[in-house]
Amino acid sequence: MTTLFGTPDIAIGIKESVSRVRLFDGPLDLSWRHCATTSDFIADVFALRFRSSRNDYMEVRHSIGYLVNELIENAVKFRAPGEILIEASMDSECFKLKVSNDVDGKIASGFQNLLADITAGDPVDLLIQRIELNAANPEVTGSGLGLLTLMSDYGARLAWIFSAADESDRICVETYASIPISQIHN
Amino acid sequence: MEIKTDEYRVWTEGSEIFFDGAMRLASSDAGASITALATNVLASHPASITLNLKDLHFLNSSGINLLAKFTIEVRKHPDVRLVVRGTPDIPWQSKSLPNLKKLHPAVVLLLD
Repeated sequence: MTTLFGTPDIAIGIKESVSRVRLFDGPLDLSWRHCATTSDFIADVFALRFRSSRNDYMEVRHSIGYLVNELIENAVKFRAPGEILIEASMDSECFKLKVSNDVDGKIASGFQNLLADITAGDPVDLLIQRIELNAANPEVTGSGLGLLTLMSDYGARLAWIFSAADESDRICVETYASIPISQIHN
Repeated sequence: MEIKTDEYRVWTEGSEIFFDGAMRLASSDAGASITALATNVLASHPASITLNLKDLHFLNSSGINLLAKFTIEVRKHPDVRLVVRGTPDIPWQSKSLPNLKKLHPAVVLLLD
């Protein structure tokens, strides 16, 4: 069974000229620092075309880096053992990202409950409400603040598809993201 | 008092707290030592506390949450003024720091 959360129209295959980075378990001992290394690398590659304007370059590089870092951090934090696949593409308007990894069934249902909450309403308001809730309840974890920050502060549109993974007790999570990229300074 | 890692440094000078580098905390708990440092400054009852972020190039959402939680703590002390100093040259600051004012309208946000 497939379950979808978020904005349906971005949850489609990234078609043209996709760049792929695959993070494997194993000799690399996949860890927290790989989130930064990988997201910085992807941001560097995709921001290159904006290098003629320093301001555009800084803005685009940062926004892509921030988005990719948050989504890889989530994948590293919550994944079941196995690889993380990152696919990215960019056109004149948007940078698009898809991050795929497996999670345990229990993690998947907790995540789905969270997504039902944080996708129902204006992310700008929900972010502030969640920060307040989080501060008042120190035991709350996995509060979705990273995802809400992306939607609220970066204009990111997000979607998630959950489907059965190859291993029976696992769920495959695909996270789709799209952020507007425009040349602001000429 | 100073907290130093390969990626970032946090230290105090009086009631001003300086942040430098790129901070990617694995959770807001991972920033417990930073929260403790900031809470110590608040506990000394200064008239004002400044968070100086001008050299903090990157802060992930766990770190932003840490700043937000501290802002809510300071909000409980109406006699303490909270100043947040940043720069418009670092995109995360102009995008996310205005949220602190939504949490605590008395925050003085200086992006210069």
